[in-house]
Amino acid sequence: CRKELERINKNPNEPTTVQPDYLLSNGIKANVDTYWGPDAAMDGSLLYIQYWAKIQYTDADRYIAGATGTQNVWSNFYAQGIEDFTTLAQLGDSLHNPNYKAAAVIMRSWIFQQLTDLYGDIPYKQAGKIEQYLTPVYDSQKDVYTGLLAELKDAAATITTTGNAINGDILLGGNMNTWKQFANGLRLRIALRIADRDFNTAKAVFDEVAAGGNVLLPQGVDVKLIYQASPNQNPVGRNRETRNDYRISKTIVDKLKALNDPRLPIYATVPKDTNVIIGVTNGLPSDSAARLGFSKTSDAGAVFTATMAPAVLFSYAEQLFILAEAAQRGLTNGNAADLYNQAVTASFAQYGLSSTTAAAYLQQPGVAYDATNFKKSIGEQKWLALFGEGLEAFAEWRRLDYPQLKAAYTGALNGSMPLRFKYPSSEQALNGINYKAAVARQGADLLTTKLWFDMY
Amino acid sequence: QEIRVSGVVTSRSDAQRIPGAVIRVKGSARGTQADADGKYTISANATDSLQISYIGFQTAVISINNSHVINIALENTDSKLQEVVVTALGISREKKSIGYAVQELKSKDIAEARETNLVNALSGKIAGVQVTNSQGNLGSSRIVIRGETSIAGNNQPLFILDGIPVDNSQLGIGTGRDFANAISDVNPDDIASISVLKGPNAAALYGSRASSGVILIKTKTGKDTKGGLGVTVNSNATFERVLILPDFQNVYGQGAGGQFSYKDGKGGGLNDGTDESWGPKMDGRLIPQFFSNGEAVPFVPHPNNVKDFYVTGYTLNNGLAVGGSTDKIDYRFSYNNTKQAGILPNTGITRNTFTASNTFRIAPKLTLSTYANYIRTSADNLPGVDGRRGNSVTLQFIWFGRQVDVSRLKDYKNPDGTDYNWNHSYYSNPYWIQNENTVGQLRNRFFGNARLSYEINNWLTANLRIGTDYYQDRRKYKVAYYTNGTPFGSYTEDAYTVGETNGEFTLNAKKKLGSDFDLDVLAGGNIRTNQFEQNYQQAPKLAVKDVYTLNNSRDPLISTSYFSKQKVYSTFGSAQLGYRNYAFVNVTARNDWSSTLPVENNAYFYPSVNGSLVLSEALHLQSKVLTLLKIRGGWAQVGKDTDPYQLINTYPFNQPFGPNPLLTVSDKFLKKDLRPEITTSTEAGVEAAFLNNRIRLDLTYYHSNSRNQILLADVSPTTGYLKKLMNAGEISNKGVEAMLGLTPVSTRSGFRWDLNINYARNVSEVVELDKEGFLNNYVLGSTGNMQVLASKGKRYGALYGTGFQRDAQNRIIVNADGTPAIDPNKKILGYYTPNWTGGIYNTFSFKGFSLGFLIDTKQGGSIYSGTNYTGNYTGVLATTLPGRDEEHGGLPYYRSGQQNIQLPSHTAAAPNGAEVHHDGIIFDGYTADGKKNTVVLGAEDYYKAVYNSSLNESSVYDASFIKLREIKLGYTLPKSLTSRWKLQAVNIALVARNLGYLQKHVPNIDPETAFNTGNGQGLETLQIPTTRSIGINLNVSF
Repeated sequence: CRKELERINKNPNEPTTVQPDYLLSNGIKANVDTYWGPDAAMDGSLLYIQYWAKIQYTDADRYIAGATGTQNVWSNFYAQGIEDFTTLAQLGDSLHNPNYKAAAVIMRSWIFQQLTDLYGDIPYKQAGKIEQYLTPVYDSQKDVYTGLLAELKDAAATITTTGNAINGDILLGGNMNTWKQFANGLRLRIALRIADRDFNTAKAVFDEVAAGGNVLLPQGVDVKLIYQASPNQNPVGRNRETRNDYRISKTIVDKLKALNDPRLPIYATVPKDTNVIIGVTNGLPSDSAARLGFSKTSDAGAVFTATMAPAVLFSYAEQLFILAEAAQRGLTNGNAADLYNQAVTASFAQYGLSSTTAAAYLQQPGVAYDATNFKKSIGEQKWLALFGEGLEAFAEWRRLDYPQLKAAYTGALNGSMPLRFKYPSSEQALNGINYKAAVARQGADLLTTKLWFDMY
Repeated sequence: QEIRVSGVVTSRSDAQRIPGAVIRVKGSARGTQADADGKYTISANATDSLQISYIGFQTAVISINNSHVINIALENTDSKLQEVVVTALGISREKKSIGYAVQELKSKDIAEARETNLVNALSGKIAGVQVTNSQGNLGSSRIVIRGETSIAGNNQPLFILDGIPVDNSQLGIGTGRDFANAISDVNPDDIASISVLKGPNAAALYGSRASSGVILIKTKTGKDTKGGLGVTVNSNATFERVLILPDFQNVYGQGAGGQFSYKDGKGGGLNDGTDESWGPKMDGRLIPQFFSNGEAVPFVPHPNNVKDFYVTGYTLNNGLAVGGSTDKIDYRFSYNNTKQAGILPNTGITRNTFTASNTFRIAPKLTLSTYANYIRTSADNLPGVDGRRGNSVTLQFIWFGRQVDVSRLKDYKNPDGTDYNWNHSYYSNPYWIQNENTVGQLRNRFFGNARLSYEINNWLTANLRIGTDYYQDRRKYKVAYYTNGTPFGSYTEDAYTVGETNGEFTLNAKKKLGSDFDLDVLAGGNIRTNQFEQNYQQAPKLAVKDVYTLNNSRDPLISTSYFSKQKVYSTFGSAQLGYRNYAFVNVTARNDWSSTLPVENNAYFYPSVNGSLVLSEALHLQSKVLTLLKIRGGWAQVGKDTDPYQLINTYPFNQPFGPNPLLTVSDKFLKKDLRPEITTSTEAGVEAAFLNNRIRLDLTYYHSNSRNQILLADVSPTTGYLKKLMNAGEISNKGVEAMLGLTPVSTRSGFRWDLNINYARNVSEVVELDKEGFLNNYVLGSTGNMQVLASKGKRYGALYGTGFQRDAQNRIIVNADGTPAIDPNKKILGYYTPNWTGGIYNTFSFKGFSLGFLIDTKQGGSIYSGTNYTGNYTGVLATTLPGRDEEHGGLPYYRSGQQNIQLPSHTAAAPNGAEVHHDGIIFDGYTADGKKNTVVLGAEDYYKAVYNSSLNESSVYDASFIKLREIKLGYTLPKSLTSRWKLQAVNIALVARNLGYLQKHVPNIDPETAFNTGNGQGLETLQIPTTRSIGINLNVSF
C-alpha cells in the first residue's frame, strides 16, 4: 500500500524534467518583459532619464517609487532569470551541448548586469543556489562586474558555430555567431562601465576582444526581441491598450527640437488636438499634469508603442558609441570622432533615416564631436540614440553625467535625482543580515546613493 | 421473579412524550427504547431498578418495587450535570467522563439566530472561538479555535457532519470576489447540535486535520420529532442594512488644488480625470458637471451619495421537515429554500437544500442509518471587492468626487453602448459594474453517509460507515465591452470539482468489569480519499460584445487545469475506563499513512490520554452549596500531513510565445524528505457548580506546541526561488478559557434569568521557523509595503510595515519640505491577534417568552486600514476637514516658488500680490536637528504626505471592540392554545444581529471584517460595509 500511496502523489499537472529549448524561450521572454516592462522601465528608468513623463499617477515621476515595482524587478530577474538560466546552463552540461550553456550564461550575465546597474551590490556568487545558500551574501559591485567579465569571456570561448544547434532561441534564431558577438558586446559594455574605476581591467577586456578577432555585431544587426500579437505583445504596447498615463518628456523633446533632430517625429507622436509635438515636464503634481490635457501632449512614437514593437537589448549603434569612447579614453587605438559619427549614423539607420541625413545632422555645431568634452558629445548622443532603452541610458547617464538633467519638478528627493533603485523591502525581512552588510558597505538604501561605478 | 413493566416516558417541562428514550434494567445489559408515543415495555426482576435516559434529559433511576406500570417524567438537562455530549467519532459520552473542554450549542440556538453562514452562529457564544465575519452580508467567514496552531497551514477547525468530514474550503481567493466558505451550505434547520472540540486533546481521534479543533455537527433525525404528524414548517425573513459607512466630508468636491471643471471625465476638463475630493468648495458655485453637457450648474454636496447606493438586503428562508419514528424506522425529510439579496445592487444567492435521514432497524441487532443531503447554491452575481477597477464599487466611493449624485448614474449606458459616468479615467459606472460585470456561481453538492451497525452480542457492536462529500462549483466572470481598462471585456469560466470519501470500520465493546469498573473500547480503521480538480479558461478579449462564451475571443484562450489526489489510511483505537461513575481515564491512539509524505516518513503515530475525576462524588462533597466539582486533564499529540505534490520540483507552463512552448523553473523549491507536523497539547480544567446549579464554572488552561511545521516560506528571491518548503517551524499557544454560568433569578412562577459569560485569552509565540535559523519571518499576507508576519520570537500575526522616522526622544522627524520622514527600516506596528475575547449572553424567560442578548468583544490586536489611508489621501473622509480652510483651523500662507511662507493672519496680504491660501497645516514633529517643525503645508499636501501607501504607521488602528451582537425575543404559544388548533408547537422569534458597537477605536470601518479565510488577517482594504440585520422567525410543528 505504501507504493500505491507514492504513485498517488506523482504530480500529474507539470513535468518533472524540462527541455532546454522551452526553458530558453521562457527565459528570454520573461526577462525581456521585465527589462522592458512597467516596473524597471516605464515607472522607473524611462522617467529618471527623462525619456518619458507621467500625465496621470505622477508619483513615480516624482521619485516616489512604488513598493511593488521595486519588488517585481528584483523577484522576476532573480527567480525567473537567474534561476531559469542557471538550470539551462546545467542542462547544457548534462546534455553535452555547450551552446545552450553559453546562451544561458550570456543571458544570465546580461540580467546580473541589469541588476547591479540598478541596485549596486547584489547577491551574485551565492545567488540561485538555494540548496547551499538560503540567504545569499551580497557581492560588491566591483566583484559582480569582474565576475561577469570572466563568465562572458568563457561563454564566448565555448561557443561552437558548427553543430550543437540550439532551439527555442526567440532572440537570435539560434545563430551562435550572433550570440558570440552579443557576448563580446556585453563585455565591452561592462568594461567601459568600470573604466573610471578600474582602467586596467577595462583595457584588458578591450585587448582580449581585439585579440579574439573583434567578433562584434555587424552593421545593421541589433540584439532585440521582436514581440508578437496579443497575448505576446510588447509590454509598452500592452500598457497602451488600456492605459493613458505616459507622455514623452519635455526634456528630450526640447533637445531633439534644439538639434533639429529628424528622429523627433519617430520618437514622439503628434497629439490629437494640436499639430505640434509637445512633451510633458517630469514630476508635475497630478493636477497640473492632468491640466495639460491628454489630447494636447505627445506620447512616445508608434515604433515604441506598437503591439509588435521590438525590445532592444544591445544595438549596433550602442556598440559604436562604446568603441568611440574607448578610442577616446585610450582603451583602443581607434579614431573616436570617426566612430562617433558612425554611431550617430547607425542610430539614424536603426530608425530608417539615411546616412546623408545623418551626415547633415552631424555638421551642426551642437552635434559635431568634441574631443575636449567627449563626455558631453557621447553622453548626449548616446542618450538620444538609446531612447526607449531606459535601463542602459540610466546607467550611462550616471557614468557620463551627460546630458545634464534637472531633477523632476516636484521630485521627492529635495532637488536630487535618483541614482539607483532601492532594494525591495522583502530583503529586510528575508535576508536581513546580508542586506544590512550591503547597506553598510554601499551607503544608505536610498535612491540618491551613488553606486561604485558612478565615480563622478 | 421476573415481571413485565410498561409505561410512558414524558418530558417534565412540557409533558411531551419522548419517543426513543432508552430504558435499561440497571446493572444488566437488558434494554429497550420507547416507541413513537413514548411507550415502552420491558421485562425485569421486581426488585430491579430502571434507568431511563435520553439526550437532552437527565437520566432517571427508578426502582421497580413490584410495579407493573411506571410512567416517568424526565427533567431537561438544564442542570448540565448529566449532560451527554457528542465527542470524537460521534461517540456520546456523559460530559463528566471526559478530560477536556467541550462546548455544545443546541439546535434552538442555531436555528433561531438565523445566520446564513453557519460559522457566524458560533460567534461570542463559545469560549476561545474567534469568528471573523464576512464583508457585506454574503461571503466568507473565518473561524479559529484557541488561536493559530499552524504557522502557514489551515487554522480552521475540521467540520464533521454525522461522523463524516465535510469540506469548508474557500475556493477562488484572490479573484476579487468573496465566495462563501463551503460549510455555509449546511442548513441550520437540519442541525440537532453542534459540539466544539477545542484542540488536539478532544480531537486526537480525528487525526491529521484536527489539530485546529473539530466542529461536530449532529443532524436531526426522525427521533427528534415528537408526536403529532411530524411536520415542521419554518419560515424566516431577515432584512439587512449597512452597519458602518465611512464618515465622509461634505464641504469640498472633486478636483485637485481647489479646481474642477468637467469636460470628458478623463482629463479634458479641469482635473476632471481626478478621482479625489481636493476640489472647490461645494457652496453652490456654478461648474460644468458630468450630467450638465458643459453647462455650469450648482456644485453642491450629496451627503448620502454613497449610502444611497446600497440597498436593503434580505434573507428569506422557508423550510419544511417531515419526520417520525416507528419500531422499524426513523425517518426525516426536509426541504429548505434560502434566498438572499446583498446590500450591493444586483447581488444575491439562492440555495435549495434537500435532506433525507433514515434509520432502518432491519433485524433485531442490525441497524442501517442513511443520511443524504443535496444542496444547490446559485448566484447570478456576487459582490466584488479588492479594489479592482472592473468589479469593485467600494474603490470608487473612496476615490470619489463628494459632489457626485449617484442617483444620476442609475441609467448607466449611453446610446452607443458605452458607460455614462462621473469619471472615465479610472472607473466604470458603479451600476454598470453591478449589472454588467457580474460573477455567477453554481455549486451542486452532495454529502451523505450510510452506516451499518450490528450488535454482535450484548457488549460488542460492529459499525461500518461510508460517507462522501462531493461538489462541483462553477464560476462565470463577465466583464463587459467598454469597461474601463478592459475595452474589449473578457469572459472567464472557472470550475472546481471537489470530493472526499471516507470508509470506516469500528468495533465497539462496552463491558462492566466487576461492580466498580466500566470499560468502553473502540478500535477501527479508515480510508480517506480526496480529489480536487480545477479547470480555468478565459477569453481575455471578446470578439463580439455582450456574448459571453469562450468561443467569442479575439486572442487565444488562457487555460489552466489542475488535478490532485490524496489518500490516507488510518487505524485507531480508544478506551475509556470508568470507576464507580466518578473517575475516568480515556486513552486514544491513531496511526496514519498519508500519500502526501515521502514513503519513508509517511506513517505517523500519535497517542492521547486524558482523565476526569468528579470530586464531589468521589469525596461525597455534594451539599446544598456544592453541586458539582470535577477536575480534568489530558495530554495529546496529533500528526498532520500536507497537500499533495510537495516533494518533487516541477516545471510549470507559461503561455506559449507563438509556436514556442514555454516551461519555467518553479518559484517554489520543494522538499523530498518532508516529515509530518506534530502538535502536542496539554490541558487541565475544573468544572464546578454551586447552589443547585445556579452558579456554573468551567475553567481550562491549555498549552499546545506545534513543531516540524510544513511551511512554504517566502525566501529571498536571490536564492532563485520565491518560496521554499520547510519542515521546521514551531509555534506555541498557551491560554485560558473560562465560562461562568449564573442563574441569578429563578422563581416559582417560571421567571428565570440566565447569564453566561465566557472569556478566552490565547498567547502565541512563533518559536522557530527553520532549523538553521536563517529565517526570522514568514510572510502570511501583504498589501503594498505592509506585510503580516509570523516573526520569530514574537506573537503570531505581526503587522510589519513602514513607520515614521523618530528621533532619540521618540519624536517624529520632519523632512526639510515639512513632510514626515519615513523610517527606511520597517518595523512591527501591531499584531492582528487579539489579547482576549469574550462574550456575555443573557437570557430571560417567563412562561412562553424568552429574551436573550449577546454582547461580545475582542480586546487588543491591530488592523491596518486601507479605507482610512485611501480616504484621507483622497480627501473624501470627514477626518480631512481640519485645516482645509480658515473655518476648519487652516493657517494662512502664500507660495513663493516652491516654498510656502506663513502669514501672521488670514487678513494679511502677501508680498507682490501673491495669492493667500488659508489651508495651511504644520505637521507636528521635529527637524533632524531637533527644532520644532515650522513648515506650512497645504491641506492636500499634508494629508497626502501623512496618509499614503508608503507610510503604513498612520493607518494602523487598535482593532478592539465591544459589539451588541444579538438580541432575540422568542415566544412559544401555550400548549392549551396550540393543541386546540391541533398543532404541536408554535414558536415565533424576533432576532436582531450586529446592532452596533459599544466600543470601537478604528474609524470608518468595521474592525472585524475579513475578506478571506486565510492567515493573512489584519489587513483591511476598501471593505464592503458589514450589515445589521433584523428578522422574524416562525416555526410551526404539526
